Amino acid sequence: MALPMVTPIFPAGKEPLPPGISEEERQQMLQMKKWQDFMTTGMESCAAKTVIAGVGGFAIGGFFSLMQASFAYEDPLMRQQTQAGWSNTQKAREVFKEMGRNMWRSGKGFGKVGALFAGIECVIESYRARNDMVNPVAAGFVAGGVLARNAGPKAVVGGGLAFAAFSAAIDLFLRRETPEED
Amino acid sequence: MSFLGIGGNQSTPAGGVNRDKIEMATEQLDMITDVYNRLVESCHAKCISPRYSEGDLNKGESVCIDRCVAKFFEVNKKVGEKLQSLGPGAGGGAGGSAFGSL
Repeated sequence: MALPMVTPIFPAGKEPLPPGISEEERQQMLQMKKWQDFMTTGMESCAAKTVIAGVGGFAIGGFFSLMQASFAYEDPLMRQQTQAGWSNTQKAREVFKEMGRNMWRSGKGFGKVGALFAGIECVIESYRARNDMVNPVAAGFVAGGVLARNAGPKAVVGGGLAFAAFSAAIDLFLRRETPEED
Repeated sequence: MSFLGIGGNQSTPAGGVNRDKIEMATEQLDMITDVYNRLVESCHAKCISPRYSEGDLNKGESVCIDRCVAKFFEVNKKVGEKLQSLGPGAGGGAGGSAFGSL
């Protein structure tokens, strides 16, 4: 444990201590190491990856919706009907509420997509015990199919293929051969 | 590893009387080192692709290494059992060095 790259020949409990730690602090150090390993394993687990992707997707969806709000057009006639005698503050509050609703909806959508894809890819990778291009393509196909489940079998296959192609393109970009920086 | 305890307990220096024990301990140390090196070599060759994109292990690679180590020990144990069942003559004297030279 203390000497990396060397055969673990010491009996458990008598390994050489790293410099600067006394014998009494061994238990403490082992406890700390246990929690640290716990944290690292937790961060690399499939559940944590799904959650992180979901939250990230939610944030990105909200941001896109925010940007989209600046291009939003509306119908002045209908507004004249429904918001007849409102004051400026009321109108402004309504605008922001509408923006908030759209951000929430869009964020939920993106969050679902992200969490689904990340979770499925992590599960496939854990099962195959390999890290190559097959994982994101298969995960994209399944995620696309799940997202289109309410629109009939052809839509499921089509959506799956489309999402698989999209995910393959993104992963090809992420795994490209970067030039050696010397 | 169960043999760690044996190796550690017997490596207490105590002069000429323990020469046999020291020799046995040295042999066991050699065996352990050999098994460890083989394990690292074979699991590295099996699980880690030659194209390195980063220094950390992927999820797939860490799962692969977990399985590889477990399988290695299973194989070792099974082969050991078979060798032992062949008879004490085949399994006893040559057993130690046979595992090392496989």
